[in-house]
Amino acid sequence: MASITASVEPPNETAPPAHRNGELPLLGVALPGRRTYRVWQRHRDVFFQLWRAELFPPILEPIIVFLAFGLGLGTYVELTGDQDYIEFLAPGVLVIFPMFAATFEALWGAYFRLERSGTYAAILATPARPEEIIAGDILWAATRMQISTILILVVMAVFTPSWSLIDSPLVIFVLPLNLLAGLLFSSLAMAYTSTVRSISQLSYFFSLAVVPMFWISGGFFPLDDLPAWAEVLAWLTPVFHAIEINRGLVTGHPQWIDLVHLAIIIAVAIPAFWFSLWAMRRRLVT
Amino acid sequence: MPAIIEARGLRKQYGDLMAVDGIDFDVEEGEVFGILGPNGAGKTTTIRMITCVTPLTAGRLIVDGFDVNHDDRAIKSRLGIVPQDDNLDEDLNVRRNLEVYARYYDVTGKLARERIDEGLELMQLAEKSGERIQALSGGMKRRLIVARALVNAPRMMVLDEPTTGLDPQARHLVWRKLRLLRERGVTILLTTHYMDEAEQLCQRLVVMDQGRILDGGRPRDLIAKYAGANVLQMHLIEDEQVMVRALLAPALERGARLEQIEDVLYGYNLTRQDADAVEQAVADPYRVDFRRAHLEDVFLILTGRGLVE
Repeated sequence: MASITASVEPPNETAPPAHRNGELPLLGVALPGRRTYRVWQRHRDVFFQLWRAELFPPILEPIIVFLAFGLGLGTYVELTGDQDYIEFLAPGVLVIFPMFAATFEALWGAYFRLERSGTYAAILATPARPEEIIAGDILWAATRMQISTILILVVMAVFTPSWSLIDSPLVIFVLPLNLLAGLLFSSLAMAYTSTVRSISQLSYFFSLAVVPMFWISGGFFPLDDLPAWAEVLAWLTPVFHAIEINRGLVTGHPQWIDLVHLAIIIAVAIPAFWFSLWAMRRRLVT
Repeated sequence: MPAIIEARGLRKQYGDLMAVDGIDFDVEEGEVFGILGPNGAGKTTTIRMITCVTPLTAGRLIVDGFDVNHDDRAIKSRLGIVPQDDNLDEDLNVRRNLEVYARYYDVTGKLARERIDEGLELMQLAEKSGERIQALSGGMKRRLIVARALVNAPRMMVLDEPTTGLDPQARHLVWRKLRLLRERGVTILLTTHYMDEAEQLCQRLVVMDQGRILDGGRPRDLIAKYAGANVLQMHLIEDEQVMVRALLAPALERGARLEQIEDVLYGYNLTRQDADAVEQAVADPYRVDFRRAHLEDVFLILTGRGLVE
């Protein structure tokens, strides 16, 4: 029987002082592999377990907004041209409410799985890597954005005979666009979640980042009437770019500048995704 | 026998805290190996390093032939892990918990169904298959976590305080299940702060305190080495101290030992006659107990203090 403690060799000091498991080729993170899908599957299964509770509010939300703003407030808003306010509103609603869904998931959902339910810890014990847990969560948040987008599109289609909310089949491209935007929004939210120590801190991201972004994004009022600095500010928000592209897709008149908007979304999404992996990894691996 | 875990100079530092301070041990294939120690001894940190959840600060750690620094995936796929906290998925029912977990190991379809059936059967949870997690008792949750850890047919089970918080019946059931797994040839590594658990289950163990291993071996051998066959445990009032020590002086000449640990005086290597003499000399014989030595005595001798909870 080998002795348990009789090792007389000096402790092996060859391990690098702050090394991590496996190799981390991408500036401190490993590329998420196929187990990202396993993590995503877990979230999907839980969602469908609860789908009755999960599906109804995202349908109701846009209906309330269209009716309240379109019929109520909309009647007081004069737009240049003969566009109805509700028609102006639709492309914004199509980004903003799905963005809320994605952000909620990557804030409260991720925090709960990190700190309360032990879901992250349970998955960490399996061959899934930290990056795959985080990427799976972000992918799931983006999926929530897709679900919300589809439901809003359905509501818009239903309302279209009354107001012309959807003018073009190009609207279908809103889905890949929102998937991309969803990855961006949820990456940012996830990175914030990695820094949060109490659940109440999560709401600051909403009140200090998401809500201001939503006002300045040009979704609820045209930026043309505002001073120039407002438009500069809008360009700095990712939501603005998504709404601008959406506007072209919904009306069927995409502009060349939409490619710039798209490039900006992609250019921000990639580092944001990397950063969220890096930041949440630091939280998970101690 | 080949070692399934080989730890040399294992260290883990958190800021100024040296949670694990250079430990060496081997776990052999097929045995039940225990890490015994109070809370904060470094047991869980050691487990976290073995299971590739926490990187090492220094040292070498080989699990089933793989280095934890580089082959975390290979190691994780060979281990079944039962964490200290219940982290079952409360959004999923009993069976779905195992299905979802099995997928992380790429165990799906028919194989998953078979393993899950077997695991639930083994843990006496087959009839709870469709139950919500919230409806399970603490003992059932523990057993379900053990069943969950079996979905990848692990070479080794790693259990962190498997029965903490369970009532006596539930603990005995978990122990029985773990012995069953041992009989099937699964290597088991467990941590505990329960001495009876370690004595019940472990073929070999190490005693840890403050990040170090104090000693290790088979429970019997450790007891014989440190405490002998019997222990005389005495709760004495002050006047009696001097008298008892005088009474036992001849025994101490023969090689017996007295040790004061907190408010209790322990006598080792004493005879029945010595014990009787003490019992007659003190005012209240119920404060004197002559009993078989057990692991707790080893622990008290090694750490020189009571368990800190």
